[in-house]
Amino acid sequence: MSRRAEGFSRLAKAATPTLLGFIGVLILALPVRFAEGFVPTPLLPLVVVFFWSIYGPSYMPAASTFLMGLLQDLLTGGPLGLWPAVYLSTQYIVLSQRSYFIGREQKVVWIGFTFAAAGAALILWLVMSLMSETLLPLGGLVYQMVATVALYPLVAAGFSHLHRRVIVEA
Amino acid sequence: MVVLGQDRREGLGRKAESRVGLILLTLVSAILLLSSLYSAEASVFKKARETVIDAAAPVLELLARPIALVQSVVGSVRDYFHVLEENEALREENAELRQWMNEALALREILSRYERLQNYYKPLGAAPIDAFVVGESNDAFVHSMIVNAGRNDGVARGQAVVDDFGLVGRIVDAGGSASRILLLTDVQSRVPVYVEEADIEGILVGRTKARPAISFVESSEPAEFSPGQRVLTSGAGGTLPRGLPVGVVVAEREGEAIVDLYANYARARLVRVINYAFPTVELMKEGVPQPVIEDRAVKSPPPSSAAAEPPPASEPRAPAVRVEPAPASEPPPPAPVQAVDENPAEPAQTDDEGPFLPPEEAAAPSAPANEVESQPTPQIEPQDEAPPSDEAPEEPGGEPQ
Repeated sequence: MSRRAEGFSRLAKAATPTLLGFIGVLILALPVRFAEGFVPTPLLPLVVVFFWSIYGPSYMPAASTFLMGLLQDLLTGGPLGLWPAVYLSTQYIVLSQRSYFIGREQKVVWIGFTFAAAGAALILWLVMSLMSETLLPLGGLVYQMVATVALYPLVAAGFSHLHRRVIVEA
Repeated sequence: MVVLGQDRREGLGRKAESRVGLILLTLVSAILLLSSLYSAEASVFKKARETVIDAAAPVLELLARPIALVQSVVGSVRDYFHVLEENEALREENAELRQWMNEALALREILSRYERLQNYYKPLGAAPIDAFVVGESNDAFVHSMIVNAGRNDGVARGQAVVDDFGLVGRIVDAGGSASRILLLTDVQSRVPVYVEEADIEGILVGRTKARPAISFVESSEPAEFSPGQRVLTSGAGGTLPRGLPVGVVVAEREGEAIVDLYANYARARLVRVINYAFPTVELMKEGVPQPVIEDRAVKSPPPSSAAAEPPPASEPRAPAVRVEPAPASEPPPPAPVQAVDENPAEPAQTDDEGPFLPPEEAAAPSAPANEVESQPTPQIEPQDEAPPSDEAPEEPGGEPQ
């Protein structure tokens, strides 16, 4: 391949996780309506942030996490800054635990993701309760996090395949 | 499983430097969050939201239609198993609706007769804006939808959005070609409503569950309502039209009424934005201030504002009512607005009458006088010199208080 095409393809590969994150945000804004709207759409950007913070933090710089969260705020209509705060704090915590997760089998990583999702849900719930000055019901949030956690293995398998075969490959 | 360990060595060195940007941006987002707590309506935020909605709407629309298609197919597969019961239920509902239709036609006939009696001027109707739901924030706490109609189509902030069944929500952000609806179940949603038969007003507060609650204004009398009564918008505050169906009271909890909404959010696809403008009252300054009731919508103005300015007693002049055709709400229930009074008979009758209504007009609308908005606009006639006659106390509820 010529130099330019090679550079371009490398750029495209490096941008893929961010693009996947943006696609996840877009899916969150679509009227997908699983189970007649009873189950909220799973939080795919959280999976993206979690996965690439562990396995390739250089592909998920803080700026793109911030932009992902900002786009989600603007599209879904929450208070601006909420989702960037949630994603960035999740990324911070995961980065600090990264050396633990590398090399572990996927079940452990899955459980780790459950904790990350629980932490994100807690932050979300606290901030939204503060803003509406009442204790908000947890039901919908729990459903959303359970759906996300349940979807994690499938999505993570896809992401790891993508990461190993496409992105990291020289 | 393959160990992705080739990053390990790089990761150790990289950890230190990659954190700074992370912390910085976390601080930035925290500041953003705090500022949106205090000034959520800042124009910067609004512009940002509107721009993003406008930009994302075409993409969302492109993706939403195949999703709707897939869901309708899946839904019809599921419905296939319930076809027999659904048919039976639909047949019963159809029979009941036919009776309602007959009654509605009879009422329409009666109403048209009243309208003719009162010299009624019906404002021009306006078409509501139809829009397709292209985005839905199916978040745990934020319940909103994005529709593909914006300011260019006449959508403005605060307007009501309905679908086939009832009120869906209100417009909160209106971009150029797309806008956002805040659904009734969102925690920030507040809609003034009233319970139809109990005739009490309250505010519908969203509680993120499927059933929002009405919180009532504190008063000396406890609010009495019972399950099964309909809930409609009350029009208080002047931003929503009165009479839009919202839901049915199903239960009471801690003094609040729990409402089962008519709108079915799981199936909302095509919605209509109601282009409603609250009528205002102006004073004409032509020597003699006269009350001018400028009706820019179907709903009649609140009687108190019209009754506030009795013209001076110099000469009996009927009020000039300027009625402007303007976007009106839909469905338009007839609001008996007094037309321009060139009727010479009326000054002659004023001597006999009480300050507000000639007798024959008082008799006719007694039936629809139950609801505030259907009271006939009172005749503002200079009655200061005319003593209230004997007939005044007999007028059944014609006077607005």
